[in-house]
Amino acid sequence: MEIAVCVKPVPDPDTRLRASPDQRTLDPEGVKYVLAGYDESAVEQGLLLREQIPGSAVRAFAFGPAPRAPEILRSCLALGCDSATHVAANEPVDDPLVVAAALGTVLGSRPADLILVGKQALDDEEGLVAPALGALLDRPSFSSVTDLRWSPDRARFSFRRSTEVEVERWEAPPPLVLGLQQAWNDPRTAKLPNVLKARRMPIESVPAAPGAAAGRSVPLRFDLPAPRAGARMIEYSTPAEAAERLVRILREEAKVFP
Amino acid sequence: MVDFSLTPDQESLRELARKFARSEMAPRAAEVDRTGRFPEEIYRKAWELGLMNLNVPAEFGGTGLGLFDQCLIVEELAYACAGMTTSIIANCLALEPILLGATPEQKERWLRPFCADYHLASFCLTEPSGGSDAAALKTRARRSGDDYLLTGEKCFITNAPHAALFTVFATLDPALRHKGITAFVVPRDAVGLVPGREEEKMGHRASATSTVRFDEVRVPAADRLGAEGEGFSLAMRTLDQTRTPIGAMATGISQAALDLAARYALQRTTFGKPIAEHQAIQAKLATMAQQLTASRLLTWLAAWTIDGGARGTLESSIAKCFSSDAALRVADEAIQTFGGYGYMKEYPVEKLLRDAKLTQIYEGANEIQRIVTARELLKRYA
Repeated sequence: MEIAVCVKPVPDPDTRLRASPDQRTLDPEGVKYVLAGYDESAVEQGLLLREQIPGSAVRAFAFGPAPRAPEILRSCLALGCDSATHVAANEPVDDPLVVAAALGTVLGSRPADLILVGKQALDDEEGLVAPALGALLDRPSFSSVTDLRWSPDRARFSFRRSTEVEVERWEAPPPLVLGLQQAWNDPRTAKLPNVLKARRMPIESVPAAPGAAAGRSVPLRFDLPAPRAGARMIEYSTPAEAAERLVRILREEAKVFP
Repeated sequence: MVDFSLTPDQESLRELARKFARSEMAPRAAEVDRTGRFPEEIYRKAWELGLMNLNVPAEFGGTGLGLFDQCLIVEELAYACAGMTTSIIANCLALEPILLGATPEQKERWLRPFCADYHLASFCLTEPSGGSDAAALKTRARRSGDDYLLTGEKCFITNAPHAALFTVFATLDPALRHKGITAFVVPRDAVGLVPGREEEKMGHRASATSTVRFDEVRVPAADRLGAEGEGFSLAMRTLDQTRTPIGAMATGISQAALDLAARYALQRTTFGKPIAEHQAIQAKLATMAQQLTASRLLTWLAAWTIDGGARGTLESSIAKCFSSDAALRVADEAIQTFGGYGYMKEYPVEKLLRDAKLTQIYEGANEIQRIVTARELLKRYA
């Protein structure tokens, strides 16, 4: 089985973020881009299925500019993906339909029985690439997928979808596009020798289809959340006094109750 | 041209070590420090990721890194918990005599099965009656037919209660001093080898330390490392290799102390402003940063010198001694920056001081490092 996993470079959650000088986007200066969040689960799920289905291959795809996209593809190779393809863009693109179009053009010409993506990216959390890829490639797509299994007897995948109100159980034959919420296991960590080996593995680079850079959504303004106001300490000498002061603040200042 | 930038490979291995240290080690560090539990699940995971037998060549199942790369990893691990780091890198120390002195047949026999699974090894040099004066060790090796019989006691042996393999230094005749010392490799199941009770330590509490008693332990001559009388030189050449990572460990402790102190200083207010705006605290942070940066660069210099093929005795003794002294001062100033909170076990800085202290003592006490430094230095003037 050919399994394609699409991953997105996202800012390392540990880096300090700030807005670009024009206030339209995140300032990429000094930001490290990593494989993270649901994308890690998608890679893990692909590798788990490969272990279960003989003769399978897991191929990683990332769309975006260098070096951030090839860098996370190296992480995929270190984790055990069989190959990596960089769909090269000159500029970072966040519009999910543009991302899906660029990846879909490449994936459409490859034999992919199963296309896995994280159900949403760690940074913008739009969750649109899986359904958009499904539509563009004319394949069934499902998001928020957990508990994905392959039944060789029936040649079908079975999986669950968690929605706000229920847990759905599904079965479907390939080809499929799935937005992963969780793999069976916590995403694995790459072993040191494999990390070093991955640095010497080739990464295929294909240009994004012309026109793919023109997004429909245009960022207007990028703001970081306002810093949280500091805690206020209540001075007191007895617990009763502390309670009385707290009640007064909640009633008169915060107006939590009349 | 001198260049302090890391290669993409080095960035990658540092990142992997950092991720492991901060996600697996750091969350357990306080608990393990309090209880003294030996967190074997963490060590097993370190082994699985290739973070354990760093100096063993890949052909024998190790990671096969040079000293510089080892130091990058050790600094990251020690940032999260120096005690766990001691247990993780103890294999490098115990296996180094094998790498330096074993025949190809012995390497095949010991290293390959050892590295193929999670195992710990212990380096047995120090004895109760003397650590720094290694040539005066008393553990005896007596010839008995084709074998040797080892009798004596070693102390402060890292990982001994959990080790599968021991590299042991014993003397054929104490009167021969260093010329009598011979090295052996002994498996845990050898009859008469008895690890003692685990010591209660001031710091590095995630690491297990005990005595090891040898009671007429029979060792085949095929398990001798090198020739008779070569043990002392083997031990010294081992320490030449492993002393530099102690500089890296101390650097990791200093970095953790500075990070904690600087963040706290920005957040804690006195006299109406963050204490980071008071010059008394700024001077502390600046001095800590100087000590830290010098530690890292001296460690890198020593590692780079040794990776280049030189013995690097001068550079490594300077790096180990300076960085460990610095770590104690930096941890001390971090506690002072935290004030009363720094003295409380609820905050993570007092552990750094207790952990830093050992780096001045083990793998050659700093008094010995200064003697070594001076001896190497004076050779250049003689």
